[in-house]
Amino acid sequence: MTTAFSLSGVTKRYENFALRDIDLSMPEGQVMGLVGVNGAGKTTLLRILSGLALADAGAVEVLGHAMPAQQVAAKKDLGFATEDMRLFKTRTLRWHMDFVRAIYPGWDEAYATELLRRFDLRAEQTMTGYSHGQRVKALLMLNFARRPRLLLLDEPTTGLDPVARDEVLEALADVLRDEARSVIFSSHNTKDIEQMADTITFVHDGALLASREKEAFLDDWRRIVCLGAWLPDKIAWPEIAAARQNGSILELKVRQFSDGLLKRLQAKGVEIRSTEPMSLEDIFVTTVRAGGVA
Amino acid sequence: MNFSSLNLPVIKLLVAKDWLLFQKQLAACVLAGIVALCLIGMATGWSFYLGSLLLIIVLVSASCFSISTSLLVERKEHTLAFVMSLPVTPLDYYLAKLVGSLVTFLVPFLVMLAGTMLVILFTPLPDGLVVLSLLIFGHVLLAYTASLSVAMAVESEGWNIFAMISSMVLINPFIMLLGQLPAISDHVKTDTIVFGPVVVSILLGQLVVGVAVLIATGWVHCRKKSFY
Repeated sequence: MTTAFSLSGVTKRYENFALRDIDLSMPEGQVMGLVGVNGAGKTTLLRILSGLALADAGAVEVLGHAMPAQQVAAKKDLGFATEDMRLFKTRTLRWHMDFVRAIYPGWDEAYATELLRRFDLRAEQTMTGYSHGQRVKALLMLNFARRPRLLLLDEPTTGLDPVARDEVLEALADVLRDEARSVIFSSHNTKDIEQMADTITFVHDGALLASREKEAFLDDWRRIVCLGAWLPDKIAWPEIAAARQNGSILELKVRQFSDGLLKRLQAKGVEIRSTEPMSLEDIFVTTVRAGGVA
Repeated sequence: MNFSSLNLPVIKLLVAKDWLLFQKQLAACVLAGIVALCLIGMATGWSFYLGSLLLIIVLVSASCFSISTSLLVERKEHTLAFVMSLPVTPLDYYLAKLVGSLVTFLVPFLVMLAGTMLVILFTPLPDGLVVLSLLIFGHVLLAYTASLSVAMAVESEGWNIFAMISSMVLINPFIMLLGQLPAISDHVKTDTIVFGPVVVSILLGQLVVGVAVLIATGWVHCRKKSFY
């Protein structure tokens, strides 16, 4: 199986932030969701993959091309859109479409027209008159219509109203129907990531906390509500990421759920009242607050 | 720097894009430049000085507009990330910016240079002004390359404005300095055009320093680690 990208020992230092020793890869045809708080390093990671930032150390490969040496070859099959990326405001969207079409031979005009209609964008309007949501949709349209093998999307749904967000996610779902295409996207909205991604990657404070298949993540984590007065020792109970006592109610959030764990808990004299799956957001918050072990 | 793997089609598109974005300012500069040349061509005391002043202002404006439209605005308005996400290397981008900026500046510059020469040679103005004019135009071109280099190498808007203003403001002491050189001042008010060793040295110096500054900037640019 070919890899869409791979990062090995990648480090990038800024004055007040450093992305440290990142090892991460993704097979082609997959969708990876990047989850992290503001300033965690998601954007830096995507900029390194897109060639907009060069790593200080480590090896970066995108679609089989070493970066930055072979970045032109990689960028020919790469789409990159960030929430703060802008188009030329005095030019029309049609001008941008012609500009991008002249560069990418794979530009699909019929699909571009379809996206214009779906996103309700006017091609002859200059970008000055576009709202934030329209700008984001225009940028995504310019990326989608060139049919890239790998799409890097940084916060593509941030700041969009619910209708625009739904339109964007629907178009993204269309892209993902083609199994040869790969997507890595970051979002504050973990629901979007939970809905779209095959693999989830947690980034926090410049480090990779975890990167696993979504189903495995969701299967392993559980919120267990018990009756009893007992607080687990973190060393003896590594499966338990968080514990909170509220009166006689004990709430446990566990990272490695199993029937054996329930039996061990019962042996400690606690009465299990319920076991519930956790949302991705809850898993992420618990992981960060537990010191970054997922 | 690897020139063998340049993405020339995209470089051409980027140059054309800069040209397109600069068209309105270019038209305004050329129009103002023609007005300045008409004033100079009237060859009376007041119109000559007013026209000369206007011409220098137009050249400085063309320089600032060119750098601002091509580089500073691109960075400030976050369109740089869009451009750098296209299949280009930092060297491709540098060359596109260099050619694009030079073209957008050199078109009004050369129009005004040619116009100035024609006005001097075909009006009652002394032909000796040709040499002084060429040296002043040489200074403007050198100041432009210096400002362009700072704009490419330094991201701070403050430093860029400082570089543009200071390099152009030096035109006054430069003209005063030229006036002190007998090789120039002795012929300014005559109808003889004399390219002596001093004049040729200054012109060559301006050319060599300008080219060296641009090469050094390319070297610095290709070692940058962030392009957004």
